[in-house]
Amino acid sequence: MSEPVMRSPLHSFGLASQAKPIDGSSGVWANEIPHIGYISLRGDGRDQAFVSAASKALGIPLPIEPCTLATSESVKVLWLSPDEWMIVSAPGQANALCSRLELALAGVRNQVVDNSGGYTQIFLGGTHALDVLRHVSVYDFESLQPGRVAGTTLGKSSVYAFRQGNGYRLIVRRSFADYIWRYLVRAANPYGLGIADVPVDNLVGTSTASVNVAAG
Amino acid sequence: MFVFFCPHCGENREEEEFGYGGEAFIPRPATPETLNDDAWGDYLFMRKNPKGWHWEMWSHNTGCRKFFVVKRNTATNAIAGSWTLSDGRKAYDAEGGAT
Amino acid sequence: MTSFRVRRPGARIDFEKPLSFSFDGQPYSGFAGDTLASALLANDVRMLARSFKYGRPRGIVGSGPEEPNALMQIEAGAHTIPNLKATQVELYDGLIARRTTGYPTLEFDLKSIGGLFSRFMPAGFYYKTFQNQKLWPKFEHIIRQAAGYGSAPAEPDPETYDHSHRHTQVLVVGGGASGLLAALAAGRAGLKVVVVDEQKECGGWLLSSPHSIIGGKTADAWLKAVLGELQSMPNVEVLTRTSAFALHNMNLVLAVEQLQDHLPLGARSAHRPRQRLHRIRAENVVLATGAIERPLVFGNNDLPGIMTASALTTYLNRYGVAAGKRVLLHTSNDHVYQGACDLVRAGCEVVLADARARVNPAWEKRARAAGVDLRLGYGIAYARGGRAVSGAQLVKLDAERNAVTGKGPSIDCDALGSSGGLSPTVHLYCHDGGRPHWDDEKLAFVVPATGRAKSRIYCVGAVTGEFGLQQALEQTQRTIGDLLASLGKPAGTTSATDVHTDEPASVPPRRIFRIPDGMREGHGKKAFVDFQNDVSAADIHLAVRENYRSIEHIKRYTALGFGTDQGKLSNVNGFAIAADARGISIPEVGTTTYRPAYSPVTFGTLAGLHADETFEPRRYSAMHACHVARGAEFEPVGQWLRPWYFPLPGEDMHAAVRRECLAARRGVGIMDASTLGKIDLRGKDVREFLGRVYANDWAKLAPGKCRYGLMLDENGMVMDDGVTACITDDHFVMTTTTGGAARVFSWLEKWHQTEWPDLDVYMTSVTDHWATAAIVGPKSRQTLAKVCSDIDLSPSAFKFMDWRDGTVAGVPARVFRISFSGELAFEVNVDANYGHHVWEALMDAGREFGITPYGTETMHVLRAEKGFIIVGQDTDGSMTPLDLDMAWAVSMKKPFSFIGKRSFARSDTAGPNRKQLVGLLTEDPEIVLAEGAQIIERTDIAPPVPMLGHVTSSYYSPELDRSIALAVVRDGINRRSDEGRKTGRDVLYAHAGGKAHKVRLVSPVFIDPKGERQNV
Repeated sequence: MSEPVMRSPLHSFGLASQAKPIDGSSGVWANEIPHIGYISLRGDGRDQAFVSAASKALGIPLPIEPCTLATSESVKVLWLSPDEWMIVSAPGQANALCSRLELALAGVRNQVVDNSGGYTQIFLGGTHALDVLRHVSVYDFESLQPGRVAGTTLGKSSVYAFRQGNGYRLIVRRSFADYIWRYLVRAANPYGLGIADVPVDNLVGTSTASVNVAAG
Repeated sequence: MFVFFCPHCGENREEEEFGYGGEAFIPRPATPETLNDDAWGDYLFMRKNPKGWHWEMWSHNTGCRKFFVVKRNTATNAIAGSWTLSDGRKAYDAEGGAT
Repeated sequence: MTSFRVRRPGARIDFEKPLSFSFDGQPYSGFAGDTLASALLANDVRMLARSFKYGRPRGIVGSGPEEPNALMQIEAGAHTIPNLKATQVELYDGLIARRTTGYPTLEFDLKSIGGLFSRFMPAGFYYKTFQNQKLWPKFEHIIRQAAGYGSAPAEPDPETYDHSHRHTQVLVVGGGASGLLAALAAGRAGLKVVVVDEQKECGGWLLSSPHSIIGGKTADAWLKAVLGELQSMPNVEVLTRTSAFALHNMNLVLAVEQLQDHLPLGARSAHRPRQRLHRIRAENVVLATGAIERPLVFGNNDLPGIMTASALTTYLNRYGVAAGKRVLLHTSNDHVYQGACDLVRAGCEVVLADARARVNPAWEKRARAAGVDLRLGYGIAYARGGRAVSGAQLVKLDAERNAVTGKGPSIDCDALGSSGGLSPTVHLYCHDGGRPHWDDEKLAFVVPATGRAKSRIYCVGAVTGEFGLQQALEQTQRTIGDLLASLGKPAGTTSATDVHTDEPASVPPRRIFRIPDGMREGHGKKAFVDFQNDVSAADIHLAVRENYRSIEHIKRYTALGFGTDQGKLSNVNGFAIAADARGISIPEVGTTTYRPAYSPVTFGTLAGLHADETFEPRRYSAMHACHVARGAEFEPVGQWLRPWYFPLPGEDMHAAVRRECLAARRGVGIMDASTLGKIDLRGKDVREFLGRVYANDWAKLAPGKCRYGLMLDENGMVMDDGVTACITDDHFVMTTTTGGAARVFSWLEKWHQTEWPDLDVYMTSVTDHWATAAIVGPKSRQTLAKVCSDIDLSPSAFKFMDWRDGTVAGVPARVFRISFSGELAFEVNVDANYGHHVWEALMDAGREFGITPYGTETMHVLRAEKGFIIVGQDTDGSMTPLDLDMAWAVSMKKPFSFIGKRSFARSDTAGPNRKQLVGLLTEDPEIVLAEGAQIIERTDIAPPVPMLGHVTSSYYSPELDRSIALAVVRDGINRRSDEGRKTGRDVLYAHAGGKAHKVRLVSPVFIDPKGERQNV
C-alpha cells in the first residue's frame, strides 16, 4: 500500500511548479497555500467561561470584537460570528489543537470541528490585487484594515478574506476552489497574473515579518 | 439593491451577502395539536404583506450566518433599522407589534 | 457638396491624422476625433436611414445619445453590433458601418412608394390591424424586415466583459462644467470622488462652445485647469467613456465603461474586456446630467439636413464640420444665438427665425453685428426638399397665441437647425421613484435644485433648469456647499472658483412646441414628434380623439418615446401636444415613467464574468481526478459535476450502466458519495433537536449507530432525507441530499436561532471536509478488509446501520455500514485532502474482485430497484411520508410536536385519493417509460382525460432484465393492494409520446423485499 499523500483542492492546476518570486512582471500575483489546518470553533462569545477556556487553549485571547482576527506564533483566529471562529493552524497541527480545545472546553457549551479538508487558502497580491477584488466581490475591500476579516461574496461563491503583509488571504471552500481560481484568473486577465512563490515561513500567515507582496 | 447593517458584524454590507428570511415574529404555536385547521392554516400561510412598513428577517449568508430583523418600507424600500432577533422583538413590541 | 470642413480653433479634431472607413460598402475618410456621424456629415452623406413606418429618408438629427435616426450596424461577423448611434461611435481606421433600415435598399424603400403606407398606418395601426391574432404570424416576418433595426450577431461573442464594484463618498454623474466644478469642490474637501462621463473626454457642452469665458478663462483653458487639478488628487477618479444608465435604491449607480470599442479591431487587446460594468455604491450622488435640446415640430421636419440647433453648433465647433452653406435656424429661445454667430464666422449664410416677436436685446445686437439675418416673430410652416432639405416656408406668428397671422417668406437653405428649448436629463433622478416637475417659465421638466437630500442625491447645473452657464455654476457651488456642510466640511473650497461668464442674462423662451401651419392638425405636411417611431403630431391628436387620456396610454398607442433613444428628443414635445389636444396643462399631462436603462446596454456587460466557464460555480469532489483518469462521463447535479457512468472502450451508456449495476449486485462497485451534505451537530440537546426537525424518533439511537430520517416542512411534506449517525450522546453527524445541503443547513439554523435558541446545539457544515467512497456489493467487505485492519468488519461486530472509526489505507476514517443499493455496503469517509489517495487504494484493493466504479445513473437504477426515493425526483413538495408509504419513518409518539406533524391532520393531507408512490411494471418489459408520462385510466384519450398521476423514475433493470418505474398515482397504495388487484384497479396506462402503455401497479420494492442482502 502506498503512503498516504495529500492533494489540495487546486492540485490539478499544477501551481507549485509554475511559482516564481514576485516581481514587477505581473500586476497580480496569486497562489494556493495548501494543507493548512482549519478548525471550526463554536461557543458563546459572551460566556466568560468559554472565552477564557478557549483563549487558554489557543494561547491568545479569542477575538470577540466583530470582524477581527488574532494572531500568535502558531495560530490565526478569525471571528466569524458572535458564536463562531475559524482557527487557522500550521499543517498537521489541527488534530492536536482540536484535542487541546476539547479538553479545555469540557463542561462548557461548545463545538470543535476539524474542517481542514473543507477549505483552502489563496494568496492574492500585486499592484492590482485590489482591482481584482473589486471585480470579484461586492465588499468594499478598500476599507478592509489589517487585523480585520470579512465574510463576503466571491463571484457566486463566498470567501473569508483578510490582509496579510501587503496582500490578501482568501479562505475558500474546497469544492468551490476550482471555480474561484478560474474566476480570479479571468478577473486578473487585464493586469497579468503571476503564480507567486509564497515564502514557507509565511504559510499560515502567522509570521510577524510581513513579505512585500506588492512589488513594483 | 439594498445595503443592510448587520447587527452582528457591525458593518454595512451589500444585499448580495444576504438572504431573505420572510416576515419576522411569527412564533410557532406552542401546542399545534390544540389549534383548529383555520388557526394552523393562518400560521402556515397567512402573511401581512403590507404596503408600507414591514418587519422581516434577513440572514447574513456569506458573513455571520445569523438571522436578524429589518424594518423595511415595502413601498419606498426605505429601511428604518436592523436589529438582532431579540432587540428587534423589543423594538417591534414597543410599536405595539403593529405594522 | 453642401457640408464642408472648417478648421475651427478649439475643435477636437486632429487634422493631421486622417482615418478611412466605410459606410454601406462605400469608402470614406475622416479624422481622429470624429464620430461616425461627424465624419459622414463631413462627407456629405445625408440620408442614413429610412423611417420605421413610412420609409421616409432620414439623416442625423442630434450629436449624442438623443440621436433617433442614425442607427448603425458596426463591423461584421462575431464582432458586429446593431443599432449603435452614429453620434456615439468614435471613428477609427478601418471602421465598417452599415445602415440598419431601408428595405430592400436605402435608396429605394418599399414603404415609401407614393406615401402608400402613410395612409394606412395611423396611430394604433398594429393594434387595429392585428386584433385578429391569426393575421400576425403571416405578416410578422415581412413587417419586421421592413422595419429594420439591425441584426444581432449570429456567432458567439469573442469578447469578454467584467464588473467592478466601487464604493465612494461622492459620485458625480456627468463631467460637464457643473459636474467638474462639483468634483473639484468635493475633491478639495478631501472626499473620495468618482466622476463618470459618457463621452471620450469631459467637458460636456463646453466642448461645443470652446470660446465661452469662465472666470476670465476660455472654456478650453478652464477645462484644462480643472481636469489637471482633479488628476492631481489621489482621492478623485475620473472615468470617461462611462455612461451611468441606472440609479437604484440606496444610491447604487450602474455605469458601463467602453474600454475597446473606439479602437480598430486589430488594435484591441485580448487581455482587456470590451466593456466594464461599474456598480457604484455612493454615499452621495451628484447628478450633473445636463440637458438635451429638443427640436421644434413643423411640417417635413424629418428631412435629412434638419437637426437640432445644438447639433449644428456641435458639429461646427467640436468636429469642424459645417452642415451647410446656407443655414436656416429656427428657435423659441436664446440658446441658438451663439451658434448662429459661430456659423456666420465659419463662412455660412445664416437666417435665424425666432418665434418670439421681441427677443433678448443683448443677443439681438450680437447676432445682427455678426451678420445673422434675423427674422423675428416667424415660424416654419414646413420644410421643402426631397432627399435633403432645400428650403422652408415661413409663416408670421401671432405674438400671443400660437396661431398663424400671415404668410412669411420662403427661404432656401441646405441645412436647418431648430431649438424648442432644453429638456433636462432627469432620467437617473427618476429611476428611484423621483418625479420631475414642470417649470412653466423655463418650459422644462426639471428636478428640484435641492435634489433629494434625504437620499443624499444632489442635482447641479442644467438638470435643475439652470440653463445659463454662470447660473448653473453658481447653483452648483451652492448645492455642493450644502453637501459639504452636511458632512461637516468647510464650504469655503466651493466659492474659491470664479464662475463669471460673458453670457448675456437670458430672457424667457416662448411657449411653443408645434409650429402652426394655418391648417387643422393632420391636414398639412407631416410634422414629426418621434422620429424613430414615426409618430407625428397628428397621431397624438388622433389618439386623444380616440379617447386615450393617460400619457402612459397615449405613449403605448402611438409608440411615442419607445426605442433606442427612449424619447430623449420627443417626449416633452409629445406631452405638450397631448396637453394642447386635450386642452389641459403640461403638468396635468405629466410624464411617462423613466426606467433604467438610460441608454442601451449589451447583455454581455450585464453578465460580466458570470459567463462561459465561470457562469455558475462548478463544484468538484476531492476524487474528481480519479474519475477523469478512468474516462467517466459527467453530469451536473446542482452545482456539482458528478460521474454519470464510466464507459469502457466501445460501450454506450446502456452497456456501461448494465455492467456497473451487475458488478454492484454480484461483485463490488465503488461510487463517489462526497457530494452529500454533511452537518456536524454538537451539544446536550442535539437528540431533542433532531426529534423536532425529523419525523422519526432519535431518543434511543445509541452511539455507534446510524438511522435514516425524513425531514418535513411545516406543511408535513417531505423536504429532505438522509442518514444521521450518533457519535456520542451529544455529538451527531447528519447527511443531507446533495442538492438540499445548503437549504437544510440554513433551515436548521433558522429554527435554532428563531424558535429554540435555548437548545444546547451547535452545528457546522462539514460537507467539504469529508470525501466519501461507497463500496457496494457482496465483495465489499473483502475489499475493505484489505486496506483496513483496525476495524472488526465481521457481520456480528459491524452490523448494518453501524458506524466505526478506524484507519483506511493509512488514513483516519469514519466508516458507515449503510446502503443506498440494498447490497452489503460501506461508506468510507476521510479528510478530503486524502480523498484521491483513498479512492486509488480502494481500487487497488478491489482489483482482484473486479471492483467497478459507477456513477449517478447506476446509483439511480440500484436505488429504484429497491424503491428508495430521491427527494425532488419522486417527491415534489406535495408528498407526505404516508403518501410515500413510509409510515415507518414517522414517530407519532414523540412528546414534541415535530415540524410538519400537525399538518398531517389537515383535511386535504388526511383526505382520501391522494397521490401515492407505487412501482410500475409495463406489460411489455422492453418499454422504458418516459419520466413525466401521465398515468391515465383508459387508452381513450379524448379530452377531458382524468390524470391520475405521473411517472417519477424509470429505468431498465439489468438485475431483473426488464424495465421498472416509480410513479405517484391517486389512491395508488389501495390500487396495488390485494384488494385492488382483485378488482383490476391496479391496471392503468402510462401516456407518453402519443402512446398509451399498459402498466400494472406493484410494490415499489422490486428486488429483495425482505432486505436480506444488505444484512449479510
